Amino acid sequence: MKTLIRQSIRTGITFGIVQVFFILIAFNTMIGIMLAKVSGIKNPGEIPAPKFLIAYTILMGLWVGIAALSKKKSLPAGQKLVAGFTASLISAILVGLLEIGMTAILVNKIFIRDFLTVLSFDFIKATLFGLTPSMGILVTIGCILLGSLVGVGLNILSNLHAVQEHWKKDLAFIKNISEKVQYSIHGKYHLIWQIVGISLLAVAVILIPMKWGSYWNYVFGTVGLYVILGLGLNIIVGLSGQLVLGYIAFFAIGAYTMALLNAPEPHNLMWGFWPALLLGVVLSALSGLLLGLPIMRLRGDYLAIVTLGFGEIIRILLKSDVLTNFTGGPRGIQNIHGPSLFGKPFNSEVDFVYLIIAGVILASFVYNRLQQSRTGRAWLAIREDETVARASGVDTIKYKLLALAIGAAFAGLAGGIYASRNQFTGPDEHALMASINVLSLIIVGGMGNIPGTILGAFTLKGLPEILREFANFRLLAFGALLVFMMLSRPEGLIPSHRPKYSKPKETAADLQKKEVPHDK
Amino acid sequence: MTNNIIQVQGVSKIFGGLTAVNNVNLDIAEGSIYSIIGPNGAGKTTLFNCISGFYVPDHGTVLFQGLVLNGRSTDTVASLGLSRTYQNIRLFSNLTAIENVLVGQQPRLKETWVESIIRTHRSKNEEKTSLEEGFKWLDFVGLSEFADSIAGDLPYGAQRRLEIARALGSKPSLLLLDEPTAGMNPQETLEMTALIRSLRDKFNITIILIEHDMHVVMGISDYISVLDFGNKIAEGKPEEIQHNESVIEAYLGPGGAALAQKYRRKKAS
Repeated sequence: MKTLIRQSIRTGITFGIVQVFFILIAFNTMIGIMLAKVSGIKNPGEIPAPKFLIAYTILMGLWVGIAALSKKKSLPAGQKLVAGFTASLISAILVGLLEIGMTAILVNKIFIRDFLTVLSFDFIKATLFGLTPSMGILVTIGCILLGSLVGVGLNILSNLHAVQEHWKKDLAFIKNISEKVQYSIHGKYHLIWQIVGISLLAVAVILIPMKWGSYWNYVFGTVGLYVILGLGLNIIVGLSGQLVLGYIAFFAIGAYTMALLNAPEPHNLMWGFWPALLLGVVLSALSGLLLGLPIMRLRGDYLAIVTLGFGEIIRILLKSDVLTNFTGGPRGIQNIHGPSLFGKPFNSEVDFVYLIIAGVILASFVYNRLQQSRTGRAWLAIREDETVARASGVDTIKYKLLALAIGAAFAGLAGGIYASRNQFTGPDEHALMASINVLSLIIVGGMGNIPGTILGAFTLKGLPEILREFANFRLLAFGALLVFMMLSRPEGLIPSHRPKYSKPKETAADLQKKEVPHDK
Repeated sequence: MTNNIIQVQGVSKIFGGLTAVNNVNLDIAEGSIYSIIGPNGAGKTTLFNCISGFYVPDHGTVLFQGLVLNGRSTDTVASLGLSRTYQNIRLFSNLTAIENVLVGQQPRLKETWVESIIRTHRSKNEEKTSLEEGFKWLDFVGLSEFADSIAGDLPYGAQRRLEIARALGSKPSLLLLDEPTAGMNPQETLEMTALIRSLRDKFNITIILIEHDMHVVMGISDYISVLDFGNKIAEGKPEEIQHNESVIEAYLGPGGAALAQKYRRKKAS
């Protein structure tokens, strides 16, 4: 009992601090606004109505209640109540203390917005639910306790025998169905399913962009470009294990090749899109080789720092006054001409979405083929242990350069399409943060596999675009997501699995043997 | 002699002020099992590293089938047909067992990256034969049921055997084994000894062995060299080494030889 209470107090303190922090960054009003919107209010303003803040507080209490009982399934109900109550009381007291402090600010009319931007008088009043300070604090504490009691109740309920049995039945039912589906997918109708799946996907891919507005096409186009970038960086970091930080420099080379060859200013060369794209890819690959040659002996941290430097050098060169006449300097390059195919110019987002989808398919195809071949295995061996890979006969220098060149070529492809789609490119688009974005998307998604990269690109590039209204919280959420991911799923949302190999000779015979019982 | 697969001629390796290997000569006949023994720190692994290209010797040359190995990178050495295992197991621990063996075959494969992408007829064939080979080696070391297991998750003895399978992937004519039975129980040691012997008997692979377990060494070696403080202090057939006084003293300290003689006489009488 003593240890239980001690644990609960610890949970309470942790969650109290989290809640205080949430209030200090005005997370409560943000959630309040979201709740207001969900319940149908069009324009909730900057500070939502008190009832939504009360709902937020109850939700917080619920969270504390559930968290206090995590990993304590087998406790009797009474002890659970005690644990939940203690934890929520402690955190409620912490929040109450914060509110007392805020009241002091309000009463003495101290203006502290210089230090904490969110703590306006209106905000403080709203946090106290528009009531008198003492009432507001009591209501806060009451709401948190109430929420946690609901949480404890849910926990007790879900662990009741009858409920658990019910769950088991449901789970078994779902499992049964999914097994049947899986069998029919992998069984003898394998090919049919594959064709059906691919054609459905193809129809969706062709139809959806036409129906969507240009905004969605823009968002998904961006996601697609980041998928290509992610796959390229995955070859370098995920497969061959070289931590390259200035990856966006290759993207910049692709983008600037497109821009310089296809814009009226500064050179007016007008090569057309396709030759420029090709040249951009080749130049990026070559720059990958050029960067690779001097850094072949570096590993780990040193490699990261040198490539970081390379990325910055490219950006600063593009920005410098010396090269203004050649690269357009800090102002960038405008009016980049788009592509045309069979005489039809690309002038809407839809066309570019198709182009980007084609790029994603090409990149995935190349990535997949390489990954499953001798080349991919050589890269993996280098990632695992470079010295031993070399002694096993892998030409490590050749394969490391190859990884850099192919990864850079992917980035060049994405860069060329990007510049042409936006009709503009400038040095600040290729800053360090972009490199870090690409790296984080493959880490979050799952290093070294295609679905992971796609999911990562959606999470890190798609969601922030969609949730534009919460722009202020974007970086915060980004940081929180990274910390959370590293703690809970360090291998990414979709971890890589090693492929299975079967003895080539026996494959056919084995399959026949396995098929027989099903036929009966 | 022409049938010497490897000749180590006056090789020395100096780290700072320490002479780890001092003017060592070895002539190793093709198809033999050759052991290098010596107390800890005698320079055995350093000598191995000089032969397999990890270190460039400061003096002397290493000849492999008549070719000078000095200064060649380890991947070229491997493609010439010289493979090795490591004292501390160094598998690609996040790859599966069969993938480890497939990586071992790298020096013999010809598929380029362009072929990997378009998957030509040749690359398909090569992939198929290398898989067959890979499973053959896994079978040989008794690991075929673990083909799809992650190498790092395998039991210790299996990891040792997998390292040998990986080394065999390049179809070597010379295999250097660095303490293959270290940390094994007597049963595993017996199996490993049988495995090493069958490597030579079935595939005619010359084997150089570093080993501390004297039962293993005396049981399977055709020829033994003894190193102490970087110097070769003795060489010969197992029974000659057993009676060599300087070897006994190297292991047991000064006066050890006399002690051993006393012990032998006691045993005989």
